[in-house]
Amino acid sequence: MGQAAATCATLQAGTRALEFRPVLGPDGGDRVPLAPLPGRDLAETAPPDWLPAIEALAAEIPPAPWGAARHPVFVTSSNFGVGNLYAFRRTREPAHLVQATPSASVEFLRRRLGWGANVSLLSHACVSAHIGLLLATRVLAAGLAERALVFTFDFISPFVTGGFHALKILNGEMPAPYSARAAGSIGLGDGAAFAVLGRGPGEFQISGQQIHNEMHHFTANQADGAGFRACLAPLASAAAGRRLWIKGHGTGTLEAGRLEAETLARLFPAAPLVSWKGSLGHTLGSCGLVELALALAAIKSGRTPGSVGSTAPCFTDTVATESFANAGFDGVLLASNAFGGAHAALLLSHD
Amino acid sequence: MIERHLHAVRLEHPGHEEPEATRARLRELFPRGATRRMTQLGLLLGSVLRDLNLGADDALVYASTYAESRAIEEYLDSFPAASPTLFQTSIHPSAVQQVLIARQQPVGRFFPLTGDRQLAAHALQAALTAGSPRAILCGGEERGTWLTDCGVASAETFAFAVVLAADPAGALGTVRLIPGDEADGALALPEFFALLQERRSLRQVIAPGLTLALSWH
Repeated sequence: MGQAAATCATLQAGTRALEFRPVLGPDGGDRVPLAPLPGRDLAETAPPDWLPAIEALAAEIPPAPWGAARHPVFVTSSNFGVGNLYAFRRTREPAHLVQATPSASVEFLRRRLGWGANVSLLSHACVSAHIGLLLATRVLAAGLAERALVFTFDFISPFVTGGFHALKILNGEMPAPYSARAAGSIGLGDGAAFAVLGRGPGEFQISGQQIHNEMHHFTANQADGAGFRACLAPLASAAAGRRLWIKGHGTGTLEAGRLEAETLARLFPAAPLVSWKGSLGHTLGSCGLVELALALAAIKSGRTPGSVGSTAPCFTDTVATESFANAGFDGVLLASNAFGGAHAALLLSHD
Repeated sequence: MIERHLHAVRLEHPGHEEPEATRARLRELFPRGATRRMTQLGLLLGSVLRDLNLGADDALVYASTYAESRAIEEYLDSFPAASPTLFQTSIHPSAVQQVLIARQQPVGRFFPLTGDRQLAAHALQAALTAGSPRAILCGGEERGTWLTDCGVASAETFAFAVVLAADPAGALGTVRLIPGDEADGALALPEFFALLQERRSLRQVIAPGLTLALSWH
């Protein structure tokens, strides 16, 4: 759907990027909701066909000696070059191996983008970008950096679409995050984004960050919502006095969506809750930063997109299915979740 | 400079032990039935973490270049009927999650890293800047089969865990990270494992702008 401002405008118009496509790309399979970049069909090439999009995004990064001692780069992903590993398994074409591990994939990008060697890689499934933002914040706070670049990318491939389809949550239905309906479903999309963090005052501030890992079950949360509370409750006090809206994780699964919406409604009863994954799909490890970029674009535009694809009845009456004016707000809570009951949230404040 | 003290070191270096042999050797460390679907790396991490008393306020940092190589191989081999279990097991940081889910052990600050030449350097940086009084740094690799033959999985199997804390009392050693302006440097995971195994002191630039001073008492 393009860069942040354009994507935000498309979300504000209620447009879905997701389309039904074969789950294994050219290898076929059930048709499921996917939103790859235009022209991508999940058959990875070597070099990858998403490289021009990454280079176009990287051209927007403010100039600095990225990757030098005092300008670290934190690259996050849950996929890195795994599409090439899948392609290698199918074709045995050695050129795919150049991208086939996380470190090889990022080393390839690092050289293409002209970064120095100070590049950390973080991967924690669908909270990867949040973890990168948190570690970058910690390194800045420790005085080890002047500014930090957090760069994230996830491009879907049969490796991941096949996996979520096998788990039966990527199925023949479009996602409707936080809608109370009979069966849950998610969509998957490509995503990439970056953030430059510094210690000085800026237009936006990260006022709080929390992570919590339930370690209760790989694909289920504690049924009483304790994991959501453990992550989100500390941010309720950090946000005291602020007028918030919330960008939740909201993939479209039922139980996690209900727990998330109910916990947020209890802790932040006045804050409208949105998810954009009903349009963009779940951009996996990058969703935390992709959606942060969209939140900033929404604030700048004065209007927050609603939960595209979701309709009443919803799990709570805080869920906003339509876009709304955001001039009266001075903070945004952004939350993500991942396998293993991983929770991450970030409080963004602005004047 | 950031300084922390080494309070425990746990190592597993099973050589060419096959996963089933590792499973049989370490089964008693886990709840009954838990090891059936665990990977070799998960089993080894369970061994090195077992008596370190990971607490809710501790930071946990995990480092692996290749991670779940055998699960990735088997998951790729399962197509076109992709295996849901192997999918979730193949995803970083599954090895640590296997252990902590088996033990129902929640953790707050958990930083899973990957990388290559500077992986140990950046994992140490994460552990020392995590903002917790105590951090556990763990990591390792498992030997693959066809992925190793292709050069995209480890040829060695090993795992380690170390406890890093602010309190110097009773420490085994000291870790200092010294900022600088060097353009390069490296400390990969196998080299860090060797330092721990040999209790070898070191002063070396391990990443751009980062010198490690490791000393043993």
